[in-house]
Amino acid sequence: MNKLKLAIVGCGAITQGIHLPVTALSNQVEVTVLVDKFLPRAHELADKYGVPVVADEYREIIGKADAAIVSLPNYLHAPVTIDLLQHEVHVLVEKPMALKTSNCDEMIEAASNTGAVLAVGLVRRFYGSSQFVKQIVENGLLGNILGFDLREGIIFRWAVASDSMFRKEAAGGGVLVDIGPHALDLLLWWLGGYTSVEYYDDAMGGVEADCELHLRLQCGASGVVELSRTRNLRNSWIIRGERGTLEVGTGFNPLIRLKTKNRDVVLAGRVARDGVADKTIQDVFRRQFDDFVDAILSHREPFVPGQEGRRAVELVETCYALRQPSKQPWMFLEGPRHGALESALP
Amino acid sequence: MRSTQFDLSGKRVLVTGGTGFIGGRLVERLVLEHKADVRVLVRNFARAPRIARFPIEMVQGDVTRPGDVERAVSGCEVVFHCAYGNQGNREMQRLVNVEGTRNVLAAALHARVKRVVYLSTLMVYGTTPDGDLDEVAPRRYSGNIYADSKLDAERIAFDYIEKHGLSVAILQPTAVYGPFAPVWAVDVLQRLKTEHVILVNGGDGLCNAVYIDDAVSAILLAAVKESAVGEAFLISGEQPVTWRDFYGGYARMLGTAEMVSVSAAELLKAHYAQKRRKTKGILRETLSILREDPLIRERLLRTPEVVLLTKAGRSLLPKPIRQSLKRRIGSNSRTSRPQVASEREKPLRPMSPPTVQFYAAKTRVRIGKAKRMLGYQPAFDLESGMRLTEQWARWANLL
Repeated sequence: MNKLKLAIVGCGAITQGIHLPVTALSNQVEVTVLVDKFLPRAHELADKYGVPVVADEYREIIGKADAAIVSLPNYLHAPVTIDLLQHEVHVLVEKPMALKTSNCDEMIEAASNTGAVLAVGLVRRFYGSSQFVKQIVENGLLGNILGFDLREGIIFRWAVASDSMFRKEAAGGGVLVDIGPHALDLLLWWLGGYTSVEYYDDAMGGVEADCELHLRLQCGASGVVELSRTRNLRNSWIIRGERGTLEVGTGFNPLIRLKTKNRDVVLAGRVARDGVADKTIQDVFRRQFDDFVDAILSHREPFVPGQEGRRAVELVETCYALRQPSKQPWMFLEGPRHGALESALP
Repeated sequence: MRSTQFDLSGKRVLVTGGTGFIGGRLVERLVLEHKADVRVLVRNFARAPRIARFPIEMVQGDVTRPGDVERAVSGCEVVFHCAYGNQGNREMQRLVNVEGTRNVLAAALHARVKRVVYLSTLMVYGTTPDGDLDEVAPRRYSGNIYADSKLDAERIAFDYIEKHGLSVAILQPTAVYGPFAPVWAVDVLQRLKTEHVILVNGGDGLCNAVYIDDAVSAILLAAVKESAVGEAFLISGEQPVTWRDFYGGYARMLGTAEMVSVSAAELLKAHYAQKRRKTKGILRETLSILREDPLIRERLLRTPEVVLLTKAGRSLLPKPIRQSLKRRIGSNSRTSRPQVASEREKPLRPMSPPTVQFYAAKTRVRIGKAKRMLGYQPAFDLESGMRLTEQWARWANLL
């Protein structure tokens, strides 16, 4: 069988740390092109992984690749993906699939018109724990869901290769558009759509480092989602139902605690498949990639198609439209107390 | 008539060290209060989330590379040099602090920058004696790589003032605390949570602390006041406080955290007794690494092996001190903290003689010169500074 020819468009930290190592493990795929506007970077990675062609322009992959992973600054996700889909190149696009829902619709339409696969890189759907929560909620173990609480934040340490994720025009936003799609996608996938949202963040002309959402869902549950790049938060979901409470960490192989209501029983453990738990985050990305490849070969929808990726984009877009400033009293000085400085300035 | 100050509004300014604590707050206030056109020299973008909240320009580069610095300084009217080295070995720290400063000053001279504000430190005065301390006190090497290299950098700055006529103002802040302060907020809270903090002489020594916004106000004044040129200014709060009050402020935020009073004499005796027993080597080296890196420390301290080692280590303390500590810890109210057991498990860190001296000293830093020449007036006392710090610490999930 001929291997699928794959291009990776964008050679940032995630391509180096995840996409190249993961695709190298597949025997159904051969990475044939690496694209980066900074060619030395593409060459460096191509040499390491034996990729035959490098390019500084994504259109050069058309005709050279059957499929592509699009891992570019956020603002380029939509235009590049649409163009590739229109040329019948299957695309796995990193989250967020786009910055606007209108762009998501164009991407979905392009895939529909050509029959190319459009998969969205919402990798947390592939966590064993995420799928377990989905099952627990759907089979009613918790009863009706009453509330939820997510606090996710670490002091940012991601080895970013450039400043693109901190430039508003390139990233489209800050932590909400970065971690938000993952978190909000899981929330909407697990618990269903929302009816209202209040949104607060700390951006002051740039991109937010911290944000907070107060949501009410169609199922009647309400709760808070708090995301941070500057703080180490609890890093877990708490989902409270009529019959019990579930706490699940946000990492790729978290401890899950299930506490039954009115009983002093707490069940705790990790999710494994056939007795084997994920050892590294690459194991999860591999499942995502294998699903993408299988969707292409089997002519089926991927696990996270464009319609699914669109939901988190819509919520992010709504949040930014309703934005209110976070309350951080230490940020703003009271005028009179700093009279000395003010009087020193004309 | 020559203007004695100028406006930062709309002016292009460069901040080095802008992803750090003081530089980061400076960036915020330059944007929010002065509408300055801020450029930041960024070595590592991973540290940029806080300043990326503002509409600023980030230029990738390193103060140790002259070309990077020249590019960053180009077109700027004011340079705030806040970058310093706190990572790597002594040579690396010296390279950042001394050569980095030289690079910034050379580039500023070449680009005809109107003002350079260089952030030095109180520590250039070495071990400070009891009593008043002002800017006429002799600068002294102390053997501390940070302090000594900052002193060398300060000397280079004075050279540029005297030999090249570069318009440089030098600030020597004391212990800067407040939201995001790595040493005087995050580390203090971390220590109070994970160990029995020793108050030397009951915490009677004087803590010359300055709230971050007062320090930044002084930096901003040094940028706009003509009288700042060629001068160094000590920057501190209105009055020193005791270390007991300073640590006590953080202990109260945590609900309670037991602190242990030990006399300087006892601590020094313990230190030299330990030294005589030749317990240094891997244990001592490990302790010094752990002291320097709170993240590694926190992770390692949780391991069962280290808990065991700490218990064993405690037994190495001379008997009188052990008994004295036992008495003091035992006499504390158990009702003040729910996790009494974990409180008892907290280890006690040995203190080096310079640290003992630092906490025992009753130095009063005088800020008269900054008040007189810059119009500096601290706006925060310990209570108001700690109030904001607590609000931030709660939000930051540190309490």
